[in-house]
Amino acid sequence: MSTQIDLVPVKPTTAIVGEAENATAKRRDRSVWLRLLLNDRVAAAAAVVLGLVFLTAVFGPMLVGNLATSIDLDNSNQAPFTLAHGWANVLGTDPLGRSMLARLIVASRTTLSVAVPAVVISAVVGSLIGMWAGYYRGWRETLAMRVADVIMSFPSLLLAVVVLYVFSPSAANIVAVLAITRIPVYLRTARAESAELASRVFVDAARTFGASSTSIITRHVFPVVLPTLLTVATLDFCYVMLAESSLSFLGIGIQPPDISWGLMVSQGRTYLHTAWWLSFFPGLAIVITTVSATVLAAWARIATDPGQRWRLTVPQKRLSRFTKTTKAL
Amino acid sequence: MSHLPPPMFRVLAMALSAVCATATGCTVANSGHGGYDPDTLRIVLSQEPPTLEPCESSLTSTGIVTRSNITEPLAERDSTTGELLPLLATRWEQTSPTEWTFTLRDGVTFSNGAPFSSKDAAFSIDRAVNSDLNCNVDGYVFGDEVLKLRTPDARTVVVGTAEPDPILPLRISFVEMVPVTTSTTEKVREPIGTGPYAIEKWDYGQKLTLARNPTYWGPAPAFAKAEYKWRSEGSVRAAMLTNDEVDIAVGLGPEDGAGALGVPFQNNETTALRITGTEAPLNDMRVRQAINYSVNRTGIVKALFRGLGEPAAQLIPDGVVGYNPDLQLWPHDPDKARQLVDEARADGVPVDRQIRLIGRNSQFPGVTETVEVIQSELADAGLNVKIEMMDTAAQLQYQLQPFPANAGPFIALIQHGNQAGDAAFSVDQYMRTDGAQSAFGTTDFDKQIEAAGKLTGEERQKAYAQIFADEPHKVLQFAYIAHMRGILGKSARVDYTPNPATGDEMLLAAMTPASSDRTDQS
Amino acid sequence: MFSFVRRRMYTSALPLIIVLLGVFLLARLTGDPTNLYLPESATPDQRAEFAAANGFNDPLITQLIDYFKGIVHLDFGTSLRTGESAADMALRAFPATLQLAITTMLLAIVGAVVIGCWAAYRPNSLADRFSSLLSMTAASIPDFWFAITGVWLFAVLLGWLPTSGTDGGMLSWILPIATLMIRPLGVLTQVVRGAMVSALSAPYVRLARSKGAGDVRVVTHHALRNAAAPALTVAGDLAVGLINGAVVVEAIFGWPGIGKLMIDAILQRDFAVLQAAVLLTAVSIFLLNIFIDACYALLDARVREPARV
Repeated sequence: MSTQIDLVPVKPTTAIVGEAENATAKRRDRSVWLRLLLNDRVAAAAAVVLGLVFLTAVFGPMLVGNLATSIDLDNSNQAPFTLAHGWANVLGTDPLGRSMLARLIVASRTTLSVAVPAVVISAVVGSLIGMWAGYYRGWRETLAMRVADVIMSFPSLLLAVVVLYVFSPSAANIVAVLAITRIPVYLRTARAESAELASRVFVDAARTFGASSTSIITRHVFPVVLPTLLTVATLDFCYVMLAESSLSFLGIGIQPPDISWGLMVSQGRTYLHTAWWLSFFPGLAIVITTVSATVLAAWARIATDPGQRWRLTVPQKRLSRFTKTTKAL
Repeated sequence: MSHLPPPMFRVLAMALSAVCATATGCTVANSGHGGYDPDTLRIVLSQEPPTLEPCESSLTSTGIVTRSNITEPLAERDSTTGELLPLLATRWEQTSPTEWTFTLRDGVTFSNGAPFSSKDAAFSIDRAVNSDLNCNVDGYVFGDEVLKLRTPDARTVVVGTAEPDPILPLRISFVEMVPVTTSTTEKVREPIGTGPYAIEKWDYGQKLTLARNPTYWGPAPAFAKAEYKWRSEGSVRAAMLTNDEVDIAVGLGPEDGAGALGVPFQNNETTALRITGTEAPLNDMRVRQAINYSVNRTGIVKALFRGLGEPAAQLIPDGVVGYNPDLQLWPHDPDKARQLVDEARADGVPVDRQIRLIGRNSQFPGVTETVEVIQSELADAGLNVKIEMMDTAAQLQYQLQPFPANAGPFIALIQHGNQAGDAAFSVDQYMRTDGAQSAFGTTDFDKQIEAAGKLTGEERQKAYAQIFADEPHKVLQFAYIAHMRGILGKSARVDYTPNPATGDEMLLAAMTPASSDRTDQS
Repeated sequence: MFSFVRRRMYTSALPLIIVLLGVFLLARLTGDPTNLYLPESATPDQRAEFAAANGFNDPLITQLIDYFKGIVHLDFGTSLRTGESAADMALRAFPATLQLAITTMLLAIVGAVVIGCWAAYRPNSLADRFSSLLSMTAASIPDFWFAITGVWLFAVLLGWLPTSGTDGGMLSWILPIATLMIRPLGVLTQVVRGAMVSALSAPYVRLARSKGAGDVRVVTHHALRNAAAPALTVAGDLAVGLINGAVVVEAIFGWPGIGKLMIDAILQRDFAVLQAAVLLTAVSIFLLNIFIDACYALLDARVREPARV
């Protein structure tokens, strides 16, 4: 039984349609994505929040100046939500009298500059190797999986401590450690899906047509694996931010005077009873950022899956008018 | 339609039963709970003692359990009066310039029934100081000395030193007595001693239980048993206290939430910056003076230590022999600091060279904040300072000689606890040119220190007080911060007043159940 | 099936050796433990003695050969800190962590499957969005913050649970497991839901429906099997994270597990204990991976067949 949904046109993506569209095509492409995003209001809100966070990370520290580092021992541990100590201290002050708001802004840059590169590096490296291994099977697969095993059974703490003491403790080294320890997740996920796809009929068909393995992987395997990888990547983004805070709890994360949200949560834990805002606001920042990223990833998962995209082609409200129920079955 | 349960449900059912099996068949969790034995004293420490070996008892994590609870020394220092009180020895006197004779107590037995005699005393001292065991007590109290021991009879021990040592009895009070049957080739994890308690059971990783020693020579302690547990988080220790799961909680911070159950006490620790004066720019006296002018001691104590401390002008607190009550706090003058640094710069001193400020994680509550404040104040004065927080093992490399090669100019944040009650221990370690924890010194000052070490009584006090007064002018290796106060959590059902030694040596016999007869109430 | 498992065990031997080698080298790179174990005023002679007694002065190769020789004889060395056998310490600590990890993973998997399937059943409904929001938030909370707040709230304020330790019976398991569980539960719920939504929109589901299969059977028997693969990967990764050190939980709740043992060994530069602990966790992780791969093979016949390149 077909509804009007099935008649909604979807832009074809194969090479069979061979118009020279260039500029107009690009504009139409972008407006299609924007439309897809705006149709899901929650995802749109998440995108806005995430955009704000990124803008803060990039421009914030310049605007804040040295409010984040000016120590004022007389103003130590002031409560938030009052303008009595100046507008900068509206979120309270830390034990050294520095403005929480300013520190949160400066910390966002450090946190994101650790989390984003770590996730990107491990995702790219892990999925490439995983897809390659899963597609070919045989010794390549065994080798890749054993490499993943080696990395996974390595205590990430030991690696972090060593890196911290043998080389100088810096954000770059923490990124390296986190990236390396997260590669196996992408590797295994990509390999699992790739192995499953490699035995499908359409791959056989492509091979019969003379397509090389590389092109099969990029044009057929990758788009199917991408949605899962995106979900895993955003969840991993969250994990990396939390791992960074656990490293700080153990004393081997970002070192003062640099600050990150994780370090702020960790340093604030001794004041939980008297100055709850020290741990709460950076924790809240972590939660908000990761939840937004996850919502956006869920949207991206649907948007990049051609079989699911129809859900986003009309605004949510009107969607329910077209489908009889909202049940999946 | 098929009604067989799908495989998924079967798997789920198996999983659920596995969960139940794991949970109930737990070997880790003892199910003995519900109420507690009022005759057991429950204590929570911040870490499990790695060992209870008596010759390591100058290590805080070991000594706090062992000293005067399981094992006892010949003499015991009263930390409030500073007097040396007889314990296993009833008398001692200097019978020759290099010899001290100790008379031992009668009727003392070890917890395994063996009688305590001079042979055990000589053996214990020899084992701790002269042997190859590398005991911590050896290094902390005796340095490189080799002691000569004689036992003329069963009740007398004669200890001889190479040079006359007027405070030998004080040093000997750090050696805990063990029976001659104790191993001399290995350290012993669970020792036998003469103390009021003996080890009943040690569940490694979980719990240590001591029980009253029935053969104890002195009055029986009030509590029949003592149970030690350990948690590394201060707020969890405080929570255990307020939740009535323990009676005593050690090492609490002001923000941990113990509230009224937290008892502040002066714990003998002093924090200071130790400056490595062998490298430029720190080898210039003006720069070191500038550092002293920049540190806002009063502000740090008020805001970071929450008042739990007293700004310091010397390395030892009141109550230790050699304390100088006339010393004034170095004034806090950031302008003067800047001026001194400018002067030095004008003279060509490389004040822009990066100085490392090295601190140890979790050394005391608020250590990271303290280091940040100090770095900011030094930077204000015009110096280029970089913070490096390290764990204990790494930081010790910069605290103990020899320092790593190419360390560059660095300032170490140290915390020194004078357990012995005599300035000699602090000065020898931290101020002599060859002191184990000293960065540099001068030969003149070394001579002054040596001379003071030979004196006794009032002269000794004056000489050491003079050393502390002269150090800022002659050497200026330190910028003192504060005499610290610790917090001991104590529940209402126990009576105990913490004293300056509580952090290193917690006498269980001094803890009694809170008095139950309320004669002042109707 | 068994040949599959056997093959995997053989291929796991070499990586195990590489891990041991790696830990051995990295541990020694962290620095010299002498300062921690010798008295403060130890002379250079005493330091040399200590180093010689523990073999720190020998060239790395000699130390390595000694180490592997020891393993063959099941001698893993003694702890510098306590003097106990390193193997004893590791074997004593491991079951504690294992119990925590297994219980947590089982509860998390069961919970995630139930909630994830239920949410995917009604995609974009209020219930689905609410459970999504909850699971996302759960996956984002710093674990030590949750633990300390939990102790304060449930033990001190409300008095329902013991603060920490292992001797409160069943009650003392609740907070540690809850702390360990929130992230895996949150993450797995997301993954299961996402994979189920994809699986439920596949053509074979419609076919099954048109053949008259009930909703529950379709969800569990057909869709869940195909959604299981990515969920299994993520679950395996989370389980490894638990085994490798629920350090934070063990530190806060005083649980005598192997994570705490490892971090203490690292901070105390206790090489023997560190190596023994890593060996133990590495072996169990390899076994866990073999188990997960066997599950893949069970669930998906296509994976079982050898490669056709």
